[in-house]
Amino acid sequence: MRAPGLRAYAVIYLVFLYAPIILLPIFAFNDSRVVAFPLQSFTTGWFRQMAADQVLQTAVGNSLIIAFSTATFATILGLFAARASVRYAWPGKVPVMGLIMVPLVLPEMIVAVALLTVLLSMGVSLSIFTIILGHVLICTPFAVTILSSAFQSLDRSLEEAAYDLGETPASTFRLIILPLVMPGVIASFLICFTISIDEFIMSNFLGSGEPILSVYIFGNFRFPARVPSMMALGTVLVAVSITLLIIAEYFRRRGVARSGAKDTGGFL
Amino acid sequence: MIEFRDVHKYYGDYHALRGINATIRAGEFFSLLGPSGCGKTTLLRTIAGFEGISSGAVLIDGRDMEGVPANVRPTNMVFQSYAIFPHLTVEENVGFGLRRDPRSKADKARAVGDALTMVGLAGFGKRAAHALSGGQRQRVALARALILKPKVLLLDEPLSALDKKMRENMQVELIKLQRQVGITFILVTHDQEEALVMSDRVAVMFEGEIAQLADPETLYRRPNSRKVADFIGTMNFMPGRILSEAGGRVEVEAMGFGRVTLDQTQVMGAGTGEVAVGFRPETLTILFDGQAPQDRHSTATVEEVVYYGDMTYYDVRLEGADHTVRLSMRNVFGRPVLDIGTKAQVAWAPGALVLFR
Repeated sequence: MRAPGLRAYAVIYLVFLYAPIILLPIFAFNDSRVVAFPLQSFTTGWFRQMAADQVLQTAVGNSLIIAFSTATFATILGLFAARASVRYAWPGKVPVMGLIMVPLVLPEMIVAVALLTVLLSMGVSLSIFTIILGHVLICTPFAVTILSSAFQSLDRSLEEAAYDLGETPASTFRLIILPLVMPGVIASFLICFTISIDEFIMSNFLGSGEPILSVYIFGNFRFPARVPSMMALGTVLVAVSITLLIIAEYFRRRGVARSGAKDTGGFL
Repeated sequence: MIEFRDVHKYYGDYHALRGINATIRAGEFFSLLGPSGCGKTTLLRTIAGFEGISSGAVLIDGRDMEGVPANVRPTNMVFQSYAIFPHLTVEENVGFGLRRDPRSKADKARAVGDALTMVGLAGFGKRAAHALSGGQRQRVALARALILKPKVLLLDEPLSALDKKMRENMQVELIKLQRQVGITFILVTHDQEEALVMSDRVAVMFEGEIAQLADPETLYRRPNSRKVADFIGTMNFMPGRILSEAGGRVEVEAMGFGRVTLDQTQVMGAGTGEVAVGFRPETLTILFDGQAPQDRHSTATVEEVVYYGDMTYYDVRLEGADHTVRLSMRNVFGRPVLDIGTKAQVAWAPGALVLFR
């Protein structure tokens, strides 16, 4: 079918989506404090400046701790919630599952302020732990969604078969259920990790001033002199994201191949 | 061996099992047959321990199974979906139940090999389970369940996912396998033909109750109600009237048959209302030219002909009847298939009739 209009639309759409990202590395290697064309000479100076930034290093460290903890907790909570909602019937299931999913649609700003108020009135002092708390709150609905679909595609008689063959509920979960939902677990972990890394509102409200990557980047854009090294940082982040995505897709495809299911598309 | 004592099961208000009483003998091939929703699968799952019961008792070898979880019951199951673990190899699937077995690794590997040979999958051990065909999956499921040498093997519609030819082959193989291992097989099926072919005894279930429990021939020849008769094979019915009843003999006037005297064993039910005489299609025989009329025969008109190759079904109207009945004739070389409208003599034996009251 020939549809030149649609083809042009698709091209424009992709250019609009990716051109800014392509500009990141271009300006990251451009030897000028001003982010504008025409390009000046090639330099790796911005990367060196970025690498030498002690505060940035602390911020990256903090953000990695937060993202790792958030992804771990949210995925574990999601595992419990998804299993409970897919496999069992219990009173109040619909409202309870609804409440777990609500943070997905609530304005994050409102949730952050509300959480801040509650935490302060409880006398909890702000730290990266309170940030993790906020991140888990907004990541759990994503984990539940991803893991629910993983549990839904699991034939219930598989666990009955394992149980029938002498395994306990706990060993059945470990030997049969967990390996089969593992692609979902990895996907959930990586998505929660990604959400947490670039989350700004919770990190800004619930922190006590320690440097956090997203907050740090936001702060630095106020100083024009710092913008090129932020471009360098952005380049690194994009490269890391693409790498993570490829790893996630590798595991997903391996999972699909092992379970013999038909590949119905993934991230890549 | 397995005993159900007044087993009831409720799902909320829904009464799924309504007082099941039955005993399944050791070493028997037993089938639970019924339409979907009759409770046959639920009953099977109460034996496995996947389904609790509301009242009554399920006993295996005289031991009440109440509170005994599925993973320690002496039963193993072949699931309708086969439930092959997709992330494991054939070998790992079959050996799954031996994980807690104290035997040495080599002994277990031998047991797995033997089980695979038994189901005709020798040499398939290293294959990935998801790469198998439907029939092969089913064999893996059988080997996996039988390797634990259970007292009872439970089969939940194991052949329903296979095509006709494969299903017929597997029926014969399952019968052979059961004779070979000698353990009790309990099969759930909605396919009456399958139940008749495979079972020593069959329990026909409707709406949570066992309607009749008998061997296949009794079920076919002497169904105890019109409902069972209708579910198993084809049964023709003719309205009738009881003329007299004395000394174990019942004299009936039936449409198209005239006066017939039946034995007490041919009388089913204890109702007092309308009665009907039932008969299977093959018990009515068309007399072709030159065949001597038997003791009982009457005239019939052919109204429909259905040719099946080895058999021909005729819908015929008996003289004096207000509806047609179906009769089946084995096709013999050199004998013509009758045309619609032909008048023929049909013979029958009073012993083949069943009276439903």
